[in-house]
Amino acid sequence: MFLRLVADSFSRRPRHKLLTGAALALGMAVATAALSVSLDVGDRLAREFRSLGANLVVTPQADSLPLEIGGVDYRPANAGAYLPESDLRKLKTIFWRNNIVGFAPILDVPIFVSRFDGPNDISKIKPNASLIGTWSAHALVVPDGSSYVTGVEKINPWWHVEGSWFNESARECVVGANLAHKDGLSVGDPITVYGFARAVPVSVELRITGLLNSGGPEDDSIVASLATAQWLTTTSGEYRRLYVSALTKPEDEFGRRDPSTLAPADYERWYCTPYISSIALQIKQVLPGADVRVIRRVAEGEGAILRRVRTLLWLVTFASLLAAALAVGASSAASVIERRTEIGLMKALGAGSGTVGFLLVAEQLLLAVVGGGLGYALGILLARLVGQRIFGAAPAFSFFVLAVIVGLAAIVTLLGSAIPLRRASRYEPAPILRGE
Amino acid sequence: MPDRKMFWRIMRRLLAANRGRLFVILLALGAGATITAALLNLQVDAKRRITAEFRTFGSNVVLVPKNSSSTTSGTLPESATRSVPTHLAGEEVRVISALYLIADVSVPSSGKATSAVIAGLNPFAFLTIFPRSSSDTETNHSAENVCVLGVRVARQLNAQQGAELVISIGSRRESRHVASFKETGGPEDDRIEISLRVAQRLADLPRRISSIELRVPGTPDAIQSYVAELQRQIPEADVRPIRQFTEGEAKIYDRISSILSATVALVLVLTGLCVMAAMTNVAMERRNDVGLMKAIGGATRRVLRLFLAEAALLGLTSGVLGGAAGILLSMWLGKAVFGIAARPRLIVYPVAVGLTIIVAIAGAYPLRRLTNIRPAAVFRGEA
Repeated sequence: MFLRLVADSFSRRPRHKLLTGAALALGMAVATAALSVSLDVGDRLAREFRSLGANLVVTPQADSLPLEIGGVDYRPANAGAYLPESDLRKLKTIFWRNNIVGFAPILDVPIFVSRFDGPNDISKIKPNASLIGTWSAHALVVPDGSSYVTGVEKINPWWHVEGSWFNESARECVVGANLAHKDGLSVGDPITVYGFARAVPVSVELRITGLLNSGGPEDDSIVASLATAQWLTTTSGEYRRLYVSALTKPEDEFGRRDPSTLAPADYERWYCTPYISSIALQIKQVLPGADVRVIRRVAEGEGAILRRVRTLLWLVTFASLLAAALAVGASSAASVIERRTEIGLMKALGAGSGTVGFLLVAEQLLLAVVGGGLGYALGILLARLVGQRIFGAAPAFSFFVLAVIVGLAAIVTLLGSAIPLRRASRYEPAPILRGE
Repeated sequence: MPDRKMFWRIMRRLLAANRGRLFVILLALGAGATITAALLNLQVDAKRRITAEFRTFGSNVVLVPKNSSSTTSGTLPESATRSVPTHLAGEEVRVISALYLIADVSVPSSGKATSAVIAGLNPFAFLTIFPRSSSDTETNHSAENVCVLGVRVARQLNAQQGAELVISIGSRRESRHVASFKETGGPEDDRIEISLRVAQRLADLPRRISSIELRVPGTPDAIQSYVAELQRQIPEADVRPIRQFTEGEAKIYDRISSILSATVALVLVLTGLCVMAAMTNVAMERRNDVGLMKAIGGATRRVLRLFLAEAALLGLTSGVLGGAAGILLSMWLGKAVFGIAARPRLIVYPVAVGLTIIVAIAGAYPLRRLTNIRPAAVFRGEA
C-alpha cells in the first residue's frame, strides 16, 4: 500500500515531480562539475607550473664561489668542484621519482670561438664566449632497467631553437641568437671552439644545428653536449650544476617545519609528502657530496598561486552547492505546501502524522536519489568538457564526488521539506477539506 | 486612474496572501542574486590579484646595455632609470638598478678571504630572506654601512651576522657589517649585496649601472606592450623580458583565467536554471488565482501581465538586496583569499539585478499555459 501511494503520487503529478527533480538534477550537476574540477585543478596547475623551469638546483658542496655576471662565469677553468655524471640515474630511484619531471646537468666552459680554421697563434687567444655543456634529449638507463629521456629541452620549455637541437653523439651545437648575429653564424656552419683547461688550448670542431633564443644570457653562448664540454675542460664524466624540475605540493605549516625536529611518525609523513624540501632531501641522499637548494623564486610563487586558485575554486564550488541547496529546498518546500488537501484527506481517513511524514519523506528521498544521480551524470559530463577544453585532460572519476553529491541531494531535499512537513503534520483535516 | 490602483491592490494581496511562499521565492531569487554578484565581482578581481601574485617570482623584465655580451661588460647611465614608467594600469612597477662587479672579500674575524660577485643595488633592502618579503622592508638610511651575504658566500667566508667584511678592488677598500643572509636558490646565494652608491665608489664608476631590473605587474599582454613601449623610450638599452617567467606566466595565467571563467559561467547558468525551476514550481500552484480572475471577467492578457509584474517585482526586490549582499560578500571573500578586499565594481550591480529579474520572469513564464484553463474546471477541483 505504501509503495502504491508513492508510485501513485509520482504518476499522478508527473509535471511537478519532474520540475522538482529537474531543479535537483541541475543543482547537483553544478555541484558535481565544480567539485570535480576543483579536486583536480591542483594537480593540473602544478604541472603547468613546470613551464617555469627547474625548482631545484644541485651544486657540489665543495664548490668555490661562481664569479658569474650576466651568465658568464669568470672563475678559472680548474677552480671549483664537480659532481659525477654516473650518479644521475639514481635520481629515478628516490621515493618521489615519478614526481621528477626532468633534469639536466650543466657544465659551462669559457671558450674562444672562431668561425674558420682558427687564429694563427693559438697561444695568444683569450676566452670570448662560454659554452654550456648539457643534455638535449638524453636517454638515461634507470637502475630498474627502463629508459628515461630527459634534458634541457624538457626543463626549459621557454628555450626556442630555430633549426634543431644538437645530437648528443655527433659533434654538433646550438648557438645563442645574439652570438650568431654578432659573428654572422647560421645553421649548418662549422665552428672551431677552444678550451683553456690545459697549457695549450684544446680545440673541437662543431657544426651548428640551430639558433637558440632564450631571452637570457644563453643567447650569448654556445650550447653543446655535456661530452663536448667535458672534453674542453678535460674532466671526465663530471658536471658542475644540475637543474631538477619536480612536481611538488605547496608547502604548508607542516611542510615548513624543520625535519630534524620532527618526531619519527611526523618525519615519515613529511618524507612521504612531495614537499619541495623533502624531495630536495631525497636527492641529497642519492647524490653524495651535493648541495641541493630550492630555487625560491620559482617554488615560492608557485605555492602561493596554487593555494589561492584552489581556495577560489573551493569558494565557487561552495557557492554552487549553496545555490543548488536553496533551489532544491525551495522546490521541495513548494511541493509539500501544495499537497495540503491530500494530507488532510489522508489524516481524515485515519493516517497518523508519522505515517504521512514518512510517506512524504520517502517520496522526497526517492526524488533525491534519482535527481542526484542524474545531476551527477550531467555534472561529470560538464566537468569533462571543461577539463578537456582547458587542460586537454578530463578529471578522473572519483567515487568520493558521487557519494558527496547523492548524500548532499538527500540532505538538501529533506531540509527543504522539513519545515513544511512539520507544519503539515499539525494540520487539522477538517478545515483543509472544507477548503479554508 | 482607478485601473492602476486596482492593479497595485491586487499585487499587494498576491504578495501578502502567503507569507511562506513569498519567503521561499525571495530566498531562492535573493540567493541567486547574491551568488551572481559575488562571483562576477570576485572573478574580475581574482584575475588581477593572480597577476600581482606572479610578481613574487621577482623581476620579469631586465634592461641591459645594448650589444652587451660576455666579453664587453658595458654600463648604462643611472639616469636611464628615470625614463622607466613607474606605473602600469594603476599598479606600481618596481624598479631596481644594479651594478655588478667582482671584488676580493675578506672577513678579519674568521681570517678567510675569497673573490665574489658584488651587487650594488638601489633600492637596497637588507632584511630579506627571499624576494617575496623584500617589498615589506623599507630601505634604511643606514644601508651604507651594511651588506647582505648570499648563503654560499657566508659559508665560504664563515661569516656571522654582524661580522665585519672588507671588500676591496685594487687600492679601493670598503668595510661593511653583515646585516643578514639571503637564500634564494638563485645567483643571489653567491653574491654580496651592498648599496649602489658604495658599489659605484668601489668600481670607480660614478652614476653608472650594469642593469635595471623591473617587476612589471599585469596581464601577459599588458607586459608585452609595456616592454615594447620601454624599448622605444630607452633606445640605448636592450629591454629583455625574462622569458622563463613571462612565457610561463602567460601560460599559467591563461589556464587559471579560463578555469575561473568556466566554473563561474557554469555556476551562474545553472544557478539561474535552479532558481527558475524553483520559481516555476511555486508559480504552478497559482492556478486557483488564475481561475478566479478569469471567472470574474479578467482578460487573459491582463491576468498574465499581473503575474509577470509580480514576478518582476520579486526579482527586483531580491536582486537589489541580493546583489548588494553579493558585492559585500565578494569584498569579504577577496580579503579572505587574497588578503585585500575585492574592489567593488559598479557594473556588476545592475547586471546582477537585471539577471535576477530576467530569471524571475522566465520562471513565471509557464503561467502562460494556465491562461487556457477553464475556470469552471478549476473550481470543481478537476484540474
